[in-house]
Amino acid sequence: MHSLFLFNKNILRIMPKVFVYLMIILAFVAVSCKSGGQGKDAGLEIPDSVLNAGVEISEEVMQDIVQNISSPVEMAAMIKDLGVPYSNKYISTTDRVGNLTTSFQQALNLGFYAADLGYLNMYNKTSAVVDYLTAIKTLSDAIKVGQFFDFTTLKRLATNSKNLDSLMYISVHSFNQMDKYLHSNNRTNLSALMVTGVWIEGLYLGTQVYKATPNKDLADRIGEQKLTLEQLMLILEKYRQDKQYIKLLDELQLLKELFKSVEIFVEKGEPQMIEVDGMLSIVQGDKSIIKISPEVLNNIINTTEQVRNRLISF
Amino acid sequence: MKKFIIIFAILTFVASVFTQAQDVSQLTAQCAANAGDVMYLKDFVVKLDQGTPGGAPPTARFALLLSKSVVYRFSICSAPNSDGEAVLQLFDMNTLLGSTFISATGKDFPFFDFKCQKTGVYHVFISFKEGKAGEGVGIMSYVKKL
Repeated sequence: MHSLFLFNKNILRIMPKVFVYLMIILAFVAVSCKSGGQGKDAGLEIPDSVLNAGVEISEEVMQDIVQNISSPVEMAAMIKDLGVPYSNKYISTTDRVGNLTTSFQQALNLGFYAADLGYLNMYNKTSAVVDYLTAIKTLSDAIKVGQFFDFTTLKRLATNSKNLDSLMYISVHSFNQMDKYLHSNNRTNLSALMVTGVWIEGLYLGTQVYKATPNKDLADRIGEQKLTLEQLMLILEKYRQDKQYIKLLDELQLLKELFKSVEIFVEKGEPQMIEVDGMLSIVQGDKSIIKISPEVLNNIINTTEQVRNRLISF
Repeated sequence: MKKFIIIFAILTFVASVFTQAQDVSQLTAQCAANAGDVMYLKDFVVKLDQGTPGGAPPTARFALLLSKSVVYRFSICSAPNSDGEAVLQLFDMNTLLGSTFISATGKDFPFFDFKCQKTGVYHVFISFKEGKAGEGVGIMSYVKKL
């Protein structure tokens, strides 16, 4: 009893000091981080760390699976390399942002807009870029990763077409930083949604372009998304305890069923290393061959469109 | 006075954390720029301790999904204050596909291009020569469609 009394007395004596130090640290961190706290807090929100509590897979394994599962620019880069002209029909509109109130919707749509931004940047459509930057800024602030999105610099770069490389680099790097931050803060559920959004929008872009201008390379690229979808669903399965994730998984399952008919073979070969003018190049020996029938491809195109449009209005 | 020292120590610590983050960011941007006229896709930031004598060098591992018919560029940069020199290796399962350091010739390359012919999961390994401690960043970029 006596020792308890002394303990309490000591605590009371040091409490003001501890409080002062704590406040200084918090103030400093808050100022330095420029944390995006402008998002809507719609009622009682379950912290992401609590949502993640039921996850059986370790964060290390998650990190192992997730890296580069879908890039916000890779599909767009391929489409541009194919010489396909730009069309604004393939991207989602930004007028929905105000209606996205849950962190689930915000993270998923952040992925959609990141992929759209990649497509716009790729075709140097800087006049439209600002709307997408604003949408991404709003959503990233809402899920508290806005500190990684340098909106002011990006907006400045977007107004000058000469800065395309910097615009592209900062856009993709910001997306990667957000993803890394969510991982390191035990919010992999939101990271998984962002990646899903990027992937769906990329697949939608690829399938819509194929519909307009069929191309063997693009058909292969669509077919091989079977592998990406498998990885993605593996990650999302971990959050099945949440109703919204179940709905999302049900949508992706529709695509998975169709992708079952896509066959992927591998021809074995030895890699070759070539050095030309001091530059090292490696040509892979193994080669994958994708077999996808026109019927299956057509079904994938149609289902992707339906799934993507439903997810947008989730 | 004691209070002042504690506050100063806390502020110094917090400031050093942010300076470090800024350094990493600068190194990443510099390394991406050094990769040439390519499009940045991903970075792999590593900070490794010195290895034990006779043991395998500490290595950071990253799994990636690469797509068929794309040429990727893998670049590596060591931080200026790094003891060791960073090496990036690309693996497909247990097969070494490429490295920024060719041990047979002792030659270093700031990057290498990988002509991917098979969509799938690959692994990037980053370590420091002779198992030294170091900080560095690896960059993966999109070069072109094959």
